[in-house]
Amino acid sequence: MPRYLRIVLLLTPGLGLVVVMMSMVIYRAVAQSFGLYNFGGEDILSLAHWQEMFDNRRYWSALRWSGYIATTSALLSVALAYPLALWLRRPFFGSTILSAMIKAPYFVPGLVAAFLLINVISFHGFVNEFMIWIGLWDKPVRMQNDENGYAIIGLQVWKQLPLAFLLLLGSIQSIPDSVLHAAQDLGAGTLARFRRVVLPLTMKAMQAALVLIFIGAAGDFSFQAIAGPARKNSMATLMTQLQGSNYSDWNGAAVVGVTLMGLSLVGAVALAGFVQLMTKFTENVR
Amino acid sequence: MGLEIENVGVRFGSFEALRSVNLTVDDGAFVTLLGPSGCGKTTLLNVIAGFLKPTSGTVRMDGMDISDTRPEARDTAMCFQSYALFPHLSVRENVAFGPRQKKVPKNEIVQRVSKLLDQMGLDIHAEKLPNALSGGQQQRVALARALAVAPGIVLFDEPLSNLDAKLRDQVRTEIRALQREVGFTAVYVTHDQAEALAMSDEVFLLNKGVVEQSGAPREIYFRPRTSFVADFIGAANLHVGKIKDGAMATPFGPLGVRGADALNKTVCWRPEVVRLGGDLQGAVTASAFQGGHLDLFVSAGDQTVRLQVPGSHEFDVGDEVSFGLDPENVVVLADEGHVDA
Repeated sequence: MPRYLRIVLLLTPGLGLVVVMMSMVIYRAVAQSFGLYNFGGEDILSLAHWQEMFDNRRYWSALRWSGYIATTSALLSVALAYPLALWLRRPFFGSTILSAMIKAPYFVPGLVAAFLLINVISFHGFVNEFMIWIGLWDKPVRMQNDENGYAIIGLQVWKQLPLAFLLLLGSIQSIPDSVLHAAQDLGAGTLARFRRVVLPLTMKAMQAALVLIFIGAAGDFSFQAIAGPARKNSMATLMTQLQGSNYSDWNGAAVVGVTLMGLSLVGAVALAGFVQLMTKFTENVR
Repeated sequence: MGLEIENVGVRFGSFEALRSVNLTVDDGAFVTLLGPSGCGKTTLLNVIAGFLKPTSGTVRMDGMDISDTRPEARDTAMCFQSYALFPHLSVRENVAFGPRQKKVPKNEIVQRVSKLLDQMGLDIHAEKLPNALSGGQQQRVALARALAVAPGIVLFDEPLSNLDAKLRDQVRTEIRALQREVGFTAVYVTHDQAEALAMSDEVFLLNKGVVEQSGAPREIYFRPRTSFVADFIGAANLHVGKIKDGAMATPFGPLGVRGADALNKTVCWRPEVVRLGGDLQGAVTASAFQGGHLDLFVSAGDQTVRLQVPGSHEFDVGDEVSFGLDPENVVVLADEGHVDA
C-alpha cells in the first residue's frame, strides 16, 4: 500500500470526522445565508439576505462590538498573562497554589461566572451595599450592563487569562536560564531582555493565545446576554435574536453566523500578523 | 582589568557553597578556577558575573566595589557551558547583540562584528542560525559575542565540556591565543586539570567552597600543599608515616625526604620523577604501554604506587622492580591526609 494512502487511512477516523462535521456546518450556514435550506419558505438562491443585513444597522453595530470585545479581551489577557508567566516560570514557595488560582477560572462555566459578577456589581450587589455601608457612597451606582462593555471584557479576561497563561508559561519555561543570563550579561536590562529575547522566542505561543482568545470572545453569547449593555448586541446574541423570538429569520441568522466565522478568521490572521510585525519592529528598534 | 574577591561567602539555606574566598586576578591574566563538581567554582563565577549576590564579602573590579552592581552594568562577558546563543538570531546578530545593547555607534558595530567573525573563521556562517552550526562553531560564536562588547573580564564556564577531545584541544589553543592577542583578563572555570595546567597563568584550586591552593600551574603540580591538591592534579603517590633523619619508612623501603622530623606526615611524589634502579623495591602488578612511556603499577605490602618509565622498557606482571627518587622530588604535605592504596 502506498505510504500516503496509509497515512490518509490512519488519519481518517479522527481527522476525517472533524473535517466532515466542520464542512457540513460551514456549507449549511453558507448555503442558508444565500437562501437555501430555507425553513421559513421556498429555497431561492439569492444575495437578498446579505443585502438585507448590510442595510441593517444592528448588524454593523454587532460586528463592531464583537470585534472590539474580542480584540480588547485577547490583547488584555495576553498582556496580563505575560508578567504572571514570567514570575511563575521557576517554582518558589507558594507558586503551585498561585498557579492553580490563576488557572481556576478556566474550569468555571462562563454562565456561572457572569451570574457571580452580576451578584457583585448589580444595583443591590455586594460592591454597592458595601460602599453604602462604609459611608463612601450615598446611593447605589449603576455598574451593571455598562455601555463600554467593561464588565464583559473583565469577564472575558478573567475567563481567558488562564489559557494565555498556560500557553505562555510553557513557552517561557522552555527558554534556558543561560540564554536570559547571556542577554543580561551583554547589557540587556529587564525590558530589553523581554523585548529582544522573551518576546521573539514566545511569539508562537502568543499568537496561539491571541487567536484562541479572539475566536472565543468573538463568538461570546453568555457574557453579552447577562452582563452586556442592553442596547447592544454581539454577533452571537444578534444571531439568536434573528433566528429566535418573533423573527424566525434563519437566513439572516446564517448571514450573521458566516460573518462571525469570517470575523474569527480575519481577526485571528490580523492578530497573528500584528504579533509578527511587532516582533520584527521591536527587534529593529535598538 | 584587575579583579579582587575578598572574603566572599555564599550560602544556600544551611549549605555553604563558598566560605570566605579570597583571590586576586591581575589585569590581562588568564586564571582558572579548578575543582571537582560541587566545589563552588561556578558559584564563584556567577558571583563575579553578578548573577548571584554573595552572602558576605566584596567583589572589586579595578578597585571599585561592584558587589551590588547588576550583571548588565558590569564590565564582564560570559561564555556559557551550553553556549547560550540566541536561537532566533543569526550568527551576525548574536555577535552584534551586546554592542547594540551598549549603544555602540552603528558603523563601529558593523566593523567590530565583521572583524570578530573574520578572526574566528565564522564569516561564511554569518547569516546562519546557531542550530545550523557545529559545537565548535557555536563555541566560537559565543566567544565572539562575548568579545564584541570589549569586556574588561571574560568569564568562561566550562566552555569546552560539550566538545569532543580533538576539538577541545583545538578550541583551547584558540582561546588562549586570542586572549594573548586581545589582552583581556580571563577567569576560566573547569574541572579538567589538564585544561587548567595548559591554559592558565594562575590556577585557583577549590575544594568544598574554599581555595585549597593557588599558584602557577608548575607550582601547583610539583609543589602541592595538601593531599587533595596532590591527588586532584595529575597522578600522585602518597605515603603517610614518620619522618626521621631525612627519610620515611615505606613498604618499598626508606624514602628520602627533605623535611624536619615529624610523627605523622603525608608525603607525595609524581610517577614521572622516578628513576629505575635505587633503594625502593616492589613487584609489578600491572603495566600499560602509553607510547612514549610505560605506566607501571608496583606493589609492596598493602600499598601500590604508580611509576612512569621510558617506553623502551618492558616489564611483566610479577617482575621485581627497584626504583629511586631524588629527595627534592618528594613533597611533604601540610595536612595529614590519607593514602588510597
